[in-house]
Amino acid sequence: MRKREYWALVAPSLVVMVSLLAIPLYRTIEWSLQRVNYGDPGTFIGLQNYTTALSDARFQRAVVFTVGLTLVVTAILLVLGYLLATAVNRLRRMRPLVLGLLLLAYVIPGLVGATMFSWLFDSNFGGPVNYFIAQLTGQDLLWFTDTWPNRVVLVLNIVWFLLPFAMLVILAGLQSVNPEVLEAAKIDGAGPFRLHWNVIIPSVRGVIGFVILISLMDVVRIFDPLVALSPQAAAIGNESIMFYIYSVAFKDGGQQLGLGSAINVLLIIIIGILLIPSIRATAREGSR
Amino acid sequence: MMSAATPELTSRRIAAVEAAPRKRRITGTSVLVGGFLLLTCLAMLSPIIWTAASVTKPTDVAFLNPPVFVWQPTFDTFVDLWQTTNFYQYVINTLVVAVISTVLALVLGLPAAYALSRAPGWISTVLLVVALVFRALPRFAVVLPMYDIARSVGLYDTTFALALALVAINQPFTIWLLRNFFADIPDTLDEAAMMDGCTRFQVLRRVMIPLMGPGILTAGIFVFLFAFQEYLTATILTDVNARTVPVFIATQLGQTLPMLQQAGAAAVLFTIPAIAFAFIAQKYIVAGLNAGSVKG
Repeated sequence: MRKREYWALVAPSLVVMVSLLAIPLYRTIEWSLQRVNYGDPGTFIGLQNYTTALSDARFQRAVVFTVGLTLVVTAILLVLGYLLATAVNRLRRMRPLVLGLLLLAYVIPGLVGATMFSWLFDSNFGGPVNYFIAQLTGQDLLWFTDTWPNRVVLVLNIVWFLLPFAMLVILAGLQSVNPEVLEAAKIDGAGPFRLHWNVIIPSVRGVIGFVILISLMDVVRIFDPLVALSPQAAAIGNESIMFYIYSVAFKDGGQQLGLGSAINVLLIIIIGILLIPSIRATAREGSR
Repeated sequence: MMSAATPELTSRRIAAVEAAPRKRRITGTSVLVGGFLLLTCLAMLSPIIWTAASVTKPTDVAFLNPPVFVWQPTFDTFVDLWQTTNFYQYVINTLVVAVISTVLALVLGLPAAYALSRAPGWISTVLLVVALVFRALPRFAVVLPMYDIARSVGLYDTTFALALALVAINQPFTIWLLRNFFADIPDTLDEAAMMDGCTRFQVLRRVMIPLMGPGILTAGIFVFLFAFQEYLTATILTDVNARTVPVFIATQLGQTLPMLQQAGAAAVLFTIPAIAFAFIAQKYIVAGLNAGSVKG
C-alpha cells in the first residue's frame, strides 16, 4: 500500500481520535498541574495536586478498596466463567436459548442492572433476598449502609454483568481445544479433574489471559454500579477510584478539578502497568 | 475469482461457536450440569424478574417490606411514566445518540481498520498500541475536558455532542474489532482486484465492504450497544434537553415512591429491546467477543 493511500484511509479516524481523545487527555494532564475550575484558565502549582492525592487518606482507601474489589471479582469470574462455559459447551439444542438468557445481563446498561439489583436486596425497597435472609437467620442486613454487606452486593452485581462475557470468551476457547488430545488423555486414564487442570486449562491459557485483562481494566475503572448500589460509598469506605474522581472533580462543581485530574493521571499509570503484557503482544505481532 | 469460500472465512468464527457437540445419553453428569445451568440462569434473571414484578404492583405495595408476593397486576406505573415525565423524549435522545454514533463510528473506522490490516509496519503497530491504551483510559480523563470544551463552544447538553464523544471513545475498540475481521480476508483478493484495475479505495468499497458484512454488522451492534448502555459520559455531557434513559433512571433513584416505581417501569421498558438484542443479535455478539479476544 502506498504511503498516500495509507494516510488517506487512516486520517478521518485519526483526526477524531486526536481532537476528541488526545487533546482532552492533554487537558487533563495540564489541569493536574493547576489550581483550576471549569471555564477558568487556572494557575500552575506544580506537583501539589499529586502530593495532596498521595497523602490523602480518602484516596488511599479508594485505591485499596478498588484493588481488592478488582482481585476478588476477577478470581470469581474466572472460576464461575470456566464452570459455566464447560456446562454450556455440553449443550446442543438448548444452547441458543441458554446463551440468550445469560447474555441479558451483558446487554442491559450497567446502571439499569445495578438499579434492579438494589431492589432485590435492600429492605427499604422490600428486597426479597433481605427478606429470606431475615426469615432464616433473624438478622436484618443493611445492604446500603454497612460496609461488608454493601461490598457483597457490589461484587455480586459486577460479577453478574461481567460473567456472560467471561463465559462466552472461555467457551470459544474450549471449542478450539483439539478433541484428539482430549481422547488421548482419556485413554491414558486422566480423570475429569486432571483432564481439566492438566489438559484443557493449559490449552485455553490465551482466552483466560484475555478475560483477566478485560476484568482488571473494567473493575479498576468501575463507576456505574456504585451510583445505584452505594450512594454513601465514601462514608462506608466503599468508594472506587472513579467514584472519588467524580465527587471531587465534578459533583461539587469542580472545586478540586486539579486534584481530580491528578488522580486521573495516576489511574492511567496504574492501567498502563496492567496493560504491559498486551502492549508487548501487539508490538511483537506488528514487528513480524 | 472471488469464490463463495471467501465470505465463509469471515463468518467462520460465527459458525464455529454455534457448532454442536456429539450426541449424548442422559447421565448423572448431564442432570447435574442441567441443574447448575438452570440455577445460574434463574440467578442471572432474578433482578429482571423482580423488577418486572415490582412495577406491576399497585404503588402502595410496590416496595413494601416485607415484600408482597401476591398482587393484582396493574400497568398504572407505565401510564404515569408516559404522562408525568418526558420519558418519550429521553428514549428518542438515546436512539438518536446510538444511531448517529454507530453510523459515524463505522464510516470512520472501516477505512482505518482496512489500512491497519493491510499495511503492517511500525506505524500501524504504534497506532494499534495507542488505540489499545486509549481504549483503556479512565473515562473521566477525556470526558471532563470534553465537558469544559462543550460548554465553551455551546454544544453542552446536545445529542450531537454526546454522539460525537461516544464515537471518539469507542473508536479504538471499533478499529481493533474491524481490523481483526479484515485480517480474515486474504490479501491475495486485494491484489487480484488491483490487477484488474481497481484502486485501493475501489478495492475497499467494491470488494472488501461486501465481504465484511458480518464484521460490519458485529462492530455496528457493539457500538450501538455501548451507546445505548452509556451512563457516565451521558451524565456529564447532558442536562435536561439531551438526557438519555440511563441518566433519567439515575436521577429518579434519589426520589420518593411514585418516581422510584416509574424508574423501575423505565428500566423494564428499556430492558425489552435489550432482550430482543440478546436473542436476535446473539451470534454477532458472540462473534465480536471472540474476534476481540483472538488478538487481545
